Amino acid sequence: MVSVNLLNPFVVSAGEVLQSELGVKATRGQLRLHKDTYVTDDITVLVSVVGDAWGVVMMGLSFDTANKVVSKMLGEEVLEFNELAQSGISELGNVIAGHAITKLGAAGYKTDISVPTLIVGKGSQISTFDIARVVVPLTTDYGTITLTLAIRESGNSGGRTGTRPLKIGGH
Amino acid sequence: MTKIMVVDDAKFMRVRLSKLLTGHGYEVVEAENGEEAIQVYKASHPDAVLMDITMPQKTGLEALIEIRGFDPQAKVIMLTALGQESMVVQAVQSGARDYVVKPFDPDRVMMALKKVLG
Repeated sequence: MVSVNLLNPFVVSAGEVLQSELGVKATRGQLRLHKDTYVTDDITVLVSVVGDAWGVVMMGLSFDTANKVVSKMLGEEVLEFNELAQSGISELGNVIAGHAITKLGAAGYKTDISVPTLIVGKGSQISTFDIARVVVPLTTDYGTITLTLAIRESGNSGGRTGTRPLKIGGH
Repeated sequence: MTKIMVVDDAKFMRVRLSKLLTGHGYEVVEAENGEEAIQVYKASHPDAVLMDITMPQKTGLEALIEIRGFDPQAKVIMLTALGQESMVVQAVQSGARDYVVKPFDPDRVMMALKKVLG
């Protein structure tokens, strides 16, 4: 069962942070529910959520979009997805997740997040096992950033009992 | 020239803040964790510090307490992500002069700096 209360804070936070960092509105596309394995984009930022709600948040984007986003954030053109750009995109994912757990806290869910993990390279498979994924495309002037949320309440619906590591495999 | 120390484990944040500060005529020194911040502070005596809270080796909070231990007049502004309110309270109780929430607004950073520098 996918809870809107758990997912909305991430979607709203992503919109707010992107607006703040890029100065443009992110338009939300059609939400999709996926139960199959997640296949990575050029770049995927992965942040784990633990506490009253648990799961993972993934932010996928292309190299082109990432370079444009980092260029805007830094105020100078970045043409290569180098160490600096990797740090910038990871920080973006970190800030979005940080904002979201503050909103979750206000809604009564005490949660914490991991440091972000950056997966570079298209086609790796990430399984969230029995947690369905909600996929939210966010379109900006700099390209599309796809938010993937696999989060559920712990304690209810066998939440904690289902705790398992993520499985990441090659394409 | 007024010297500011920027402390953040994220390279991007250090570069971004350094660019902002040098653009406003400040000299910048950098450190990438709390432990290094203490060493750089002792070596370069910055006029003010912008320091992240969550960092490896030594957190910003631990570094703040140590720096204030040998320099009670240290002017430290904490950089924080939302969701770290309890740590911000601890930092302010430990002598942080102000805090800035990420994603930071450049004007807010400059305003906080000008305030602590008097």
